[in-house]
Amino acid sequence: MEQLLDILQQTCPGIDFTASDHLIDDGIIDSLDLVTLVTVLMDEYDVEISVDDLVPENFNSVQAIYDLIERAKS
Amino acid sequence: MSFTSLTFLAFLAGLIVLYYILPRKCQWALLLAASCAFYLCGGAKTIGYLAFTALTTYTAGRRLGVLNTRWKALDAQEKKTRKRAHDRRRKGVVWLVCLLNFGVLFALKYWAFLAEALLRRTGLHIFAPELLMPVGVSFYTFQSIGYVVDCYRGKVQPQKNFAKYALFVSFFPQIVQGPIGRYDALAPQLLAEHELDWENIRGGLQLALWGYFKKLLLAERTAALVNTVFASPETYGGAVLVLGVFGYCVQLYCDFSGGIDISRGTAQMLGITMAENFQRPIFARSLTEYWRRWHISLGSWMRDYVFYPLALSRPFRALGSFARKHFRGMLSKIFATSMATFVVYFIIGVWHGANFRYLAFGLYNGVLITAALLLEPLFVRVREKLPLCWDGWLWRGVQMLRTGAIVFIGRYITRAPRLTTALSMLRRSVTDFSLSQLRGGALFSLGMTKADWLVVLAGLFVLLAVEMYQERGGGARALLARQKPAVQGFVTLAWLAALLLGALGGYTGAGFIYAQY
Repeated sequence: MEQLLDILQQTCPGIDFTASDHLIDDGIIDSLDLVTLVTVLMDEYDVEISVDDLVPENFNSVQAIYDLIERAKS
Repeated sequence: MSFTSLTFLAFLAGLIVLYYILPRKCQWALLLAASCAFYLCGGAKTIGYLAFTALTTYTAGRRLGVLNTRWKALDAQEKKTRKRAHDRRRKGVVWLVCLLNFGVLFALKYWAFLAEALLRRTGLHIFAPELLMPVGVSFYTFQSIGYVVDCYRGKVQPQKNFAKYALFVSFFPQIVQGPIGRYDALAPQLLAEHELDWENIRGGLQLALWGYFKKLLLAERTAALVNTVFASPETYGGAVLVLGVFGYCVQLYCDFSGGIDISRGTAQMLGITMAENFQRPIFARSLTEYWRRWHISLGSWMRDYVFYPLALSRPFRALGSFARKHFRGMLSKIFATSMATFVVYFIIGVWHGANFRYLAFGLYNGVLITAALLLEPLFVRVREKLPLCWDGWLWRGVQMLRTGAIVFIGRYITRAPRLTTALSMLRRSVTDFSLSQLRGGALFSLGMTKADWLVVLAGLFVLLAVEMYQERGGGARALLARQKPAVQGFVTLAWLAALLLGALGGYTGAGFIYAQY
């Protein structure tokens, strides 16, 4: 989880990922941040994240992103 | 049938009465009949295009539903072996329906332009028949393709009843200029049974009246100024040109958002909530935010059905990997996303029409937004080093003015008859600007009388006051609802009187600008 938080903060330094559990719903992460994050995460973890996964529930919190990556790994 | 015609008002009044009198289970069928009647009144000769889109996307949705059902019935082992073939079939359906419908859209909007450009540049003659443009063709095509992609993604269950699906495609309040609805949000409402709710009637009526106010009092009057200035821009000085473009900004916003308010208000009176399409773009602090607040339903459609698939496509992922290997810092991470963003804004620009000035408009927005993204790390460093209040009202005001100026320049490009004219107007707005050009009665020789100017200025003041109140989280209709019934009645009557007076002098409403897109 800490490694993931590091990657997230390096990718989008202007965003405090721990500030909210509604990162997408509150507009903290916009569509550009989202796509940038997803492409970096796919590279870092060598997983496939599809367009269908780009829904608020998967990116509203660090925990949700972590769960998504775990699902993608399996 | 125009939203601003008396025929439409009579049609709507009759529909609302029937809608709440007839048995509830007939409501959706009545809406379909009304939508067909509305479309036949405005574009009987082009209804075939609408039927084609409805039929092809309905069939695609059904086919995807069958494929998805078959897939679910397979066990894990079969899924493993058949996954590739299953994906290929589903993608084939989506590609085919996209090719058919975007092919028609392309032919209608761009074929004649391409044929003419080809003839002019190379002397090559290609067949280009004169085609009638169906009302709202972009909007219903986008909405229907969105439905097919949602079926492909398993986000919605395909509609089995063609008539019910046809209502989703043709629902009359949205057919002229959107908003582009999503099947999962709109269709259940269209097919539901609605009880008469006076709150909806009142709220919808107020929203529609607000839309008529913007369209009839502001957009139509400023249109006279805009048409005069842009008819012969070479005869005016810079100050008049600036005023003309400012008038166009007012006209475009009031025309489009006014039309959308009429659409949403109409739908609300029928118990249906349509998607928001505007969020006070005048308060945007960046160009990206401006386009997020302007034509929201198109922006979100582009995001979900173009930007996401494009940015996560193999070529763009390869571009991202290349950037991460060869560039440093933030640039390495956002390069591919920025390029995808550029492509999307370029598409939006070109979507507006077949003309070099729209190509230029797409490039203008795409380049500025991409540059802002790529330069963001630099801006962050500057903000960290300069000890200024970067979130204070002064900086916010500067950001809004800066955004307004960028949008303002872009409007020269979209309104001028040719790109070269737009550039010439821009140059003269700077090099030949003098306030004396507006003195000596010049203001009243530009298509607007003294009374028109007073109406527009007063209207803009009201519009700005309401939008500032909304921007602070307030709701104008909710504020009115909290007043005593007598006050509410007085305001509504005063509003109606203003609209009737505003419509005097021939300002009864031309077509909507966005209907041509």
